[in-house]
Amino acid sequence: MRRASVMLVAALLGLLALAGVLPAQQPPIRLGLAAAVSGGSAASGEAIKRGLSIALDEVNARGGLLGGRKLELVVRDDEGNPQKGVTIARELVEREKVAAVFGGLHTTVALAQVPVWHELSTPYVGTWAAGTNITQNGKKPNFVFRVSANDDEVDKFLVRYAAEHLKRGKPGLLLENTAWGQSNETGLTKWFAERGVKAVGVEKFNWNDPDMSPQLLRLKQGGADVVMLVANAPEGAQVVKSKAKVGWEVPIVSHWGISGGRFAELTGELSDGVVFVQTYSFFGKQNARGEAVLKALKDRFGVKGPEDVTAPVGTANAYDALHLVALAIEQAKSADGAKVRDALEDLKAEYAGLIKTYKRPLTPEQHDALTERDYLMVVWKGGKIVPVH
Amino acid sequence: MIIQLLVSGLALGSMYGLVALGYHMTWATSRTLNFSQGHVVMLGAVVAYGVHVAAGWPLAVAVIATLAASAAFGLVVERIAVRPFFTAGSPVWLLSTIALGIIVENVAMVTFGKDARAFPSTLALKPVFLLGAGVYPQELLLPLAGVVLMGGTQLFYHRTFYGRQLKAVAWDREAAGLMGIHVPRAVATAYALSAVLAGVAGVLLAPLLNVSPTMGTLIGLKAFAVAILGGLGSAAGIVVAGFLYGLVEALVAGYVSTGAREIVGFALVIAMLTVRPWGLGGRRPTRRV
Repeated sequence: MRRASVMLVAALLGLLALAGVLPAQQPPIRLGLAAAVSGGSAASGEAIKRGLSIALDEVNARGGLLGGRKLELVVRDDEGNPQKGVTIARELVEREKVAAVFGGLHTTVALAQVPVWHELSTPYVGTWAAGTNITQNGKKPNFVFRVSANDDEVDKFLVRYAAEHLKRGKPGLLLENTAWGQSNETGLTKWFAERGVKAVGVEKFNWNDPDMSPQLLRLKQGGADVVMLVANAPEGAQVVKSKAKVGWEVPIVSHWGISGGRFAELTGELSDGVVFVQTYSFFGKQNARGEAVLKALKDRFGVKGPEDVTAPVGTANAYDALHLVALAIEQAKSADGAKVRDALEDLKAEYAGLIKTYKRPLTPEQHDALTERDYLMVVWKGGKIVPVH
Repeated sequence: MIIQLLVSGLALGSMYGLVALGYHMTWATSRTLNFSQGHVVMLGAVVAYGVHVAAGWPLAVAVIATLAASAAFGLVVERIAVRPFFTAGSPVWLLSTIALGIIVENVAMVTFGKDARAFPSTLALKPVFLLGAGVYPQELLLPLAGVVLMGGTQLFYHRTFYGRQLKAVAWDREAAGLMGIHVPRAVATAYALSAVLAGVAGVLLAPLLNVSPTMGTLIGLKAFAVAILGGLGSAAGIVVAGFLYGLVEALVAGYVSTGAREIVGFALVIAMLTVRPWGLGGRRPTRRV
């Protein structure tokens, strides 16, 4: 008897819903994150996830988008593996029906996914991987955007710093012997050539090389007055240790690879004075958004202070990337991939973000929202990252 | 520049020699070796990091625990990756020891993490300068340890009763067995000792190379090259070959190019295998007609 009445009520409610009498539940707008959230680069994926969810909560607290539709984040792990990256890209779009996808740390994964976003007409916004040809991929229309650094722009920035700020004219390049090192050799050489400067030496090292003193000695013999470094944390640490051994007082200007691991822990006070590029720093005076993001990091993720924010660029880039996508959805008046893409390329609204104020940051020609002008030079000081002034 | 290259090369070479002694240890007994010797070095460093840095045990206790763990691992290698194939006379131990090394590396990635961590040592903070060439005091420990351990293994194999038993196994397994030597136990002992040597190397290298699951791979490979050059059967030959290899690497990298370093190093190994396959310090094997 009781069960019968429950069923009766349920049937009645169903009928009412069908008839449109009850207010229809607004379907959420789903957004994807395809990044490495396990394994060695897990810290980067976690940092991106934090930035996205803080921004997402802000949008939802304002009442969501398109007249009350809430945002929802779907996370998939690419494990740093390009094949896996392609699989989850399809899964996010075809099964999870996401409107747009944010990307992670690995350039190789991002490059493998480029054709998928175009085939499925889904906009992709990179938040970390810096490979130049991820965004400059020759596709028209181009579905791939980025709120992060880009190797070519980074090289331009590093060259400008070495030439104008340090006033050095005899650079020595010290690069890891990988595709990443290669792409920066091209970029650094190109931008130095613009200034009529030629590197006095180009030296390479392999992963896990124990001793970098021969490479440093060759650069020193060649008369280098600044070392341009492209390395991840472990090899970067061996470079500064060998530099102390060789007894060479020379400034090191580095790409951001050394910020990804535990560079300061590995080098102790030897890291002091090494400068490198970032898109954002949570140290020093923050704008209103910076304060808000730091507070959210403290409240939600137990972060104690700026020195406790691991992989800070991931959080900062992802935070701004989500707000830009939200604006694009609002402007497109739709969560349809192609329409959101068109809106991203022509954002009318100005967005006073965390990293900068974005005024029409993306155009059909420019798919990188951040350029060399927006980067920040920072320096290791007592194990902390401090902006250079 | 030349002095710095010589000093760096010798420091590097003593690293290779130290690790390469582990290959000699098992080869001298069983004519087999653990191809993943570099992974055992890594294991030593990771265990030492775990008990000393993470758990805060005093260094002396941590070193003893590390060496005990290394010895235990050596026994495991022998039991599961060598013995089943060794007794059958099959060379499969070559692959099975590599496989075990890969497993160890992946287990370390899951438990320890992929990030390189610092192993603090007061001897690796600041370099000291000898004739204008910088060297970390920790690096000076390496040749010392290399020579002491080389002397120790020589004494053990040539002067002690048990060491001679182990050597006898290498000469003729069946005859040794008939003479009352417990062959499997002898081989197991050699593997445990070899792993202890790797553990010592791991502890000494940790402050210099940083601790990470991949720290041992390259150095294990180069140590193998050194063991071939020096002669797998000769501890002294290996230590000398280690210094030579380190010097060649540093000089080639300094005067030719970093790219040429590996080419020259491994070309030397091939040349040695062609001209004198028993190595610098080894003896030409007697042919039985």
